[in-house]
Amino acid sequence: MARFILVRIATMLVTALCLTFIVFWLTNIGPNLEKIARSEAGSRISDAEVASWLERNGYAEPVLLRYAQWLGVAPGWTRQEADGTWRGRCLGPGETPEEAPAFCGVLQGDWGFSRVFRRDVSEVILRGLALTGALMGWVMLVMVPGALLVGIVAGMREGSRTDRVLSTGAILTTATPEYVSGVVFIAVFSSSAVGLRWFNGSATSAMDAITFQNFTLPVMTIALYGMGYIARMTRASMAEVMTSQYIRTARLKGVSFGAVVLRHALRNALIAPFTVIMLQFPWLLTGVVIVETLFNYKGFGWTLVEAAGNNDIDLLLAVSVVSVIVVLLTQLISDIGYALLNPRIRLS
Amino acid sequence: MEPLTWTGPLGDWLDPLLLAAAGLFGLSLVLRLLAGLVPAPAPEAVVHPDGTLGLRGGSRTTPQAWALLASRATGALVLATLAAYLVGGLLLPYGEAGIVGAMIRRFLPVWVALGATLALSFAFRRRLGLYGRIFDSPVGTTGFVLVMFWVYTAIFAGVFGWIATHDPLAAVSGMKNRPPGEPLPAATDWMAGAHYLLGGDNLARDVFSRMVMGSWTVVQIAPLATLFAFMVGITLGLPAGYRGGWLDTALSFLANLILAFPVILLFYLLVTPEVVRTGLPTWMAAAMFLAPILFVAVLLWSRFRTDPARAVPLIAAVVAAMGWVYLSFISQPGTPLDFMGRLDLFDVPPGVLVVFVAVVFVNAPTVFRIVRGLTMDIKSRDYVAAAQTRGEGPWYIMLWEILPNVRGPLIVDFCLRIGYTTILLGALGFFGLGLPPDSPDWGSTINAGRQLLSIFPHPAVVPAVALLTLVLGLNLLADGLREESLRD
Amino acid sequence: MTETTTCAAPHPAALMYADEVRAGTLSRREFLTRATALGVSIPAAYGLIGLPAPAAAQEGPTPQPGGTLRMQMELRPTKDPRTWDWSEHANFCRGWLDYMVEYQKDGSLRGMLLESWEANEDATVWTLNLRRGVKWNNGDDFTAEDVVHNLRRWCDGTAEGNSMAARFDVLRDVEGTNQMREDAVEVVDDHTVRLHASAPDIALVVNMADYPAAVVHRSYNGEDPAANPIGTGAWLPEVNEVGVRQVLVRNPDHVWWGTEVYGGPWLDRIEYIDYGTDPAATLAAAESGEIDATYQTTGDFIDIFDSIGWEKSEAVTAATLAVRFHQAAEPYDDVRVRNAIQLAVDNNVVLELGYNGLGEVAENHHVCPIHPEYAPGINEPPDPAAARALMEEAGHADTEFELISLDDSWQAATCDAVAAQMRDAGFTVRRTVLPGSTFWNDWTKYPFSATEWNMRPLGVQILNLAYKSGVAWNETAFSNAEFDALLAEANAIADADARREVMARLQQIMLDEGVLIQPYWRSLYRHVRPGVHGADKHPTFEHHHYKWWMES
Repeated sequence: MARFILVRIATMLVTALCLTFIVFWLTNIGPNLEKIARSEAGSRISDAEVASWLERNGYAEPVLLRYAQWLGVAPGWTRQEADGTWRGRCLGPGETPEEAPAFCGVLQGDWGFSRVFRRDVSEVILRGLALTGALMGWVMLVMVPGALLVGIVAGMREGSRTDRVLSTGAILTTATPEYVSGVVFIAVFSSSAVGLRWFNGSATSAMDAITFQNFTLPVMTIALYGMGYIARMTRASMAEVMTSQYIRTARLKGVSFGAVVLRHALRNALIAPFTVIMLQFPWLLTGVVIVETLFNYKGFGWTLVEAAGNNDIDLLLAVSVVSVIVVLLTQLISDIGYALLNPRIRLS
Repeated sequence: MEPLTWTGPLGDWLDPLLLAAAGLFGLSLVLRLLAGLVPAPAPEAVVHPDGTLGLRGGSRTTPQAWALLASRATGALVLATLAAYLVGGLLLPYGEAGIVGAMIRRFLPVWVALGATLALSFAFRRRLGLYGRIFDSPVGTTGFVLVMFWVYTAIFAGVFGWIATHDPLAAVSGMKNRPPGEPLPAATDWMAGAHYLLGGDNLARDVFSRMVMGSWTVVQIAPLATLFAFMVGITLGLPAGYRGGWLDTALSFLANLILAFPVILLFYLLVTPEVVRTGLPTWMAAAMFLAPILFVAVLLWSRFRTDPARAVPLIAAVVAAMGWVYLSFISQPGTPLDFMGRLDLFDVPPGVLVVFVAVVFVNAPTVFRIVRGLTMDIKSRDYVAAAQTRGEGPWYIMLWEILPNVRGPLIVDFCLRIGYTTILLGALGFFGLGLPPDSPDWGSTINAGRQLLSIFPHPAVVPAVALLTLVLGLNLLADGLREESLRD
Repeated sequence: MTETTTCAAPHPAALMYADEVRAGTLSRREFLTRATALGVSIPAAYGLIGLPAPAAAQEGPTPQPGGTLRMQMELRPTKDPRTWDWSEHANFCRGWLDYMVEYQKDGSLRGMLLESWEANEDATVWTLNLRRGVKWNNGDDFTAEDVVHNLRRWCDGTAEGNSMAARFDVLRDVEGTNQMREDAVEVVDDHTVRLHASAPDIALVVNMADYPAAVVHRSYNGEDPAANPIGTGAWLPEVNEVGVRQVLVRNPDHVWWGTEVYGGPWLDRIEYIDYGTDPAATLAAAESGEIDATYQTTGDFIDIFDSIGWEKSEAVTAATLAVRFHQAAEPYDDVRVRNAIQLAVDNNVVLELGYNGLGEVAENHHVCPIHPEYAPGINEPPDPAAARALMEEAGHADTEFELISLDDSWQAATCDAVAAQMRDAGFTVRRTVLPGSTFWNDWTKYPFSATEWNMRPLGVQILNLAYKSGVAWNETAFSNAEFDALLAEANAIADADARREVMARLQQIMLDEGVLIQPYWRSLYRHVRPGVHGADKHPTFEHHHYKWWMES
């Protein structure tokens, strides 16, 4: 078990390393750097000024070397200006290379500075993660019990009318992407034109205080799309369990239907959905991005869009590191959990 | 000129009928639900005079049975009324059956093609293998009808220019945000094209025509991109699963690498104008679209390698033809790869190629994982061992023994994945990435229409319903296929 | 208020304008712009045309102090004021940075840190009288030293992205050092500065009302102004989260000079919240009660905000969208191509489809009827058939034109409408919409694209800024010696009627050369929640925070 986890964590690190290098390389190709220079030093500067700006700000060094600096395995660049002041990756204003540490990368805990938000990347990421954490928490709270209930009820009696209705409903929600359902929800439940105005069509105020009014629509929009998929998995798993020998035996022994479902079928039927729910996390990220943009909720997904749209290199790298960790960690948990829940599987 | 109402004069007597039938149907459903709460008398065992045992009770006399009968009858009435709309729309002159009738008539080629396809398929369903068995399941049939409706619409509109009433890009002054059925300012005759059937959008373009033409964009990109993703995934997944070892480790690592990327981030990195300008997506296209040529070449070679006299010219001809298409595909004026000149068969609109590449890139690793898993599962089967003993080459075994046997799950996944790709294309439109903004594809039109949704819902709702039905159809079809293929 | 003002004898031209108003040849609004630009105080200007000056306190209800106002606005990173390229930059910093003069909604110019100013007859020597008793929030006095520091910064043509330099060419050594001429600025005493322009320039003081002209402390040297907010204004920045929230709070330790001059400030706190570029998000925020005012309401949303009961304020402006050609790029280097595209586009239809008809049709030469020197009747009616013929003659009948625009809704809609008109004339058009982050990187370089231009009070100002050969914001690569010469001539003519004759020729050149398609003049709108007062839409997007108040 320990060896398995160690191998997985090692894979995770290598993956994160590769991914960040790809992101680093893509954000640092010529036109993207030119874009940075122009947005920093003014959109009307000449090509020569672009080159000199990049040179002065340490962007002209080879990509690999700068990636090593970002990681913190190579010393940060320094440069003395014509007027004698020093500039450098690790240097604060007015510092000289002697006063500042030589290395300042991720390994030293320095995630860099966000160009767009004008503050430390770690600060921006933490703020985003906290907000998105709240959103995801509520989504899970609504989605998982709802989906499991629908799936179990549908799978209990496969082929029955209840099953048909619930299954079709589940398919319908998976066929409705967030950008359709979110838009329809806003129009129906929050606009003056329809007149219901039960909920807020904007979740900006939820960043300060979550209320039923300002958080219902974003949570429902994500939950609904994910719900159908989990419900269908649960249904399939439940239906399979219900046809298995031991359930039949229990029924023949005279145990009531309800007791069979609750005592015998549920545990085994929930193994598969557990894996699915864990694997949903990364998949929900796309939904989070759309919903946060639509409802103007400034969490992690919104930060991703802003960072990518403005080619904010340090922030984008941190965003990809975080999302890779989330994806791989959920995979790991799903594997371990699967093994723990299912006595027939042994990790080796 | 008069605007069209939804159902026109025909609706004057059909609408109340439909309303009544639907109301009764709903009532009967409620009754059924209530009746279900009353416990049915348990059937009693009786001994028939001939000495056999039988069950009595249940069937005809209980309230449940009556409710069932009522709901069936009223349901049939609803269907009959709907059929009357269809027939009325087709037979009555323009305008007599309102917007619905006019639309039904515009779709006439689709109905004919759909009817013919269904009739033929149903007649020969026993000889059509898995495809024929779709029609054994009502879910599968519904899905198939929905999907084929959009496929035929796309082909007739995109290739023959039939169904749309207006140019999807043409704006008519005075028609901005007009409601459905509004006549054009210049129209005088009661004929097709005199009205905007589903209203005008924010730029005074015909919503109906945009929806119809949008199906062509969607039906072109989504299945093709999915197909390419499958070719790439299969070409890499089969050897990874069959051979195992370092090849498997390396390819799986790569696939997991791509899968660990959030899709949106990947798209931002690939589709932004700066990256497009470096030509990176074009180079990726050049690499990825080699997969189908490779795939077909290996497929043919593994089959005919015992007979090189036939194999060599055949493969040469096929590869040459596909190669030309391939080169035309990747060579685009204005990108780093522009070398074909006069020989260029066609140009993919800029933006489309980039989106295409990105969608293939995102989908291929998932397909790879599925194929790899299935291959690993199946490679220990007897018939594979038999082929190995026969001395067949590994590629022959992979392509002609393993692949046909995993086609069931792959076809199911293919249907689901087209739906997913359609949704993904829309999501790209939502972020303003990808296709040009005035493209009539559904994702972009939903995005354009959502701003004014609360006041003018029709420009966004129409493509949303279209997208919904197509994705729903694909999902239902996949469900039907899965059910039927599990019966093997 | 009484007629006694600090201004000496009114400028002779102002007296002449007053006659014109009485004769009915000049509108009151134009008169106010021109007279106050020459240094006539507002009450005196009203007095010249025999009207009482409107006093803020007499209009409507009495302002109530206190409260927090939340406004939707796109929030951009704070940077050196002279490099500001968005009104939004300025509107946040206006909390603690004041201006020399301020452009009012009625078209007049009012002194802020300048108490008054006078020009000599040919507008070459300007005397600026600084307001006395103004303190910086660090305790320093506001003196001539600050003014000279600001002038020197504005005139520095070597600073990257300094758009103020082009506005002060008459004070600069344009050929040589590219800096302020030391003999151009004369410090008479601590509160009087005299400017000696190298050529007549009627817009010298008007330019100081432009949004990049925020007045900074003499110690300021180009760093982030919000990091160390030394200013003369009444507020201080509290939160500065780009793209999320920017908050101004009343500075409790500072006595604002304006309180005794104008009254106010009333609000305790002003919060700007970013809702992106999508107006639907703003609407959702308004309906959810998250904001009290919009920054700007556009297009279809004007009616929608009306329908939810918000109060509308309108500003008639010379703001516009310039769908312009880059004349150095193929195929727009051919004047026939440019003229053909102009002929193909009916500006009436573009106004209807692109901006819901909420504005005035324009005539493709970027001089607006509300500009004092506008020459009427210079236009070219659309003619798709002639357009097609001209394009064939130029040999570009089958060329595909790519029209680039920002993803902002009304701008994209306008360009879509232009593209549709071109298609109707038989041309092939491709549309590209870019997000703001990408679009503004190359906005001066696109071959065929649309740029939003805000209004300037005088017609010559915009021509100086955007169409003079080689200036920073010349996005058309338009370079015409005759045009430049005429423009220089117009800059020296204080009398608008005399200037109009030159202007007519300038407008005609713009039209003949096919510089741009300039479809309409926008009216600007803002909506506020009932109970918010004083925050009317300003024609140049300025936020005069001290006028804002809310009913509690």
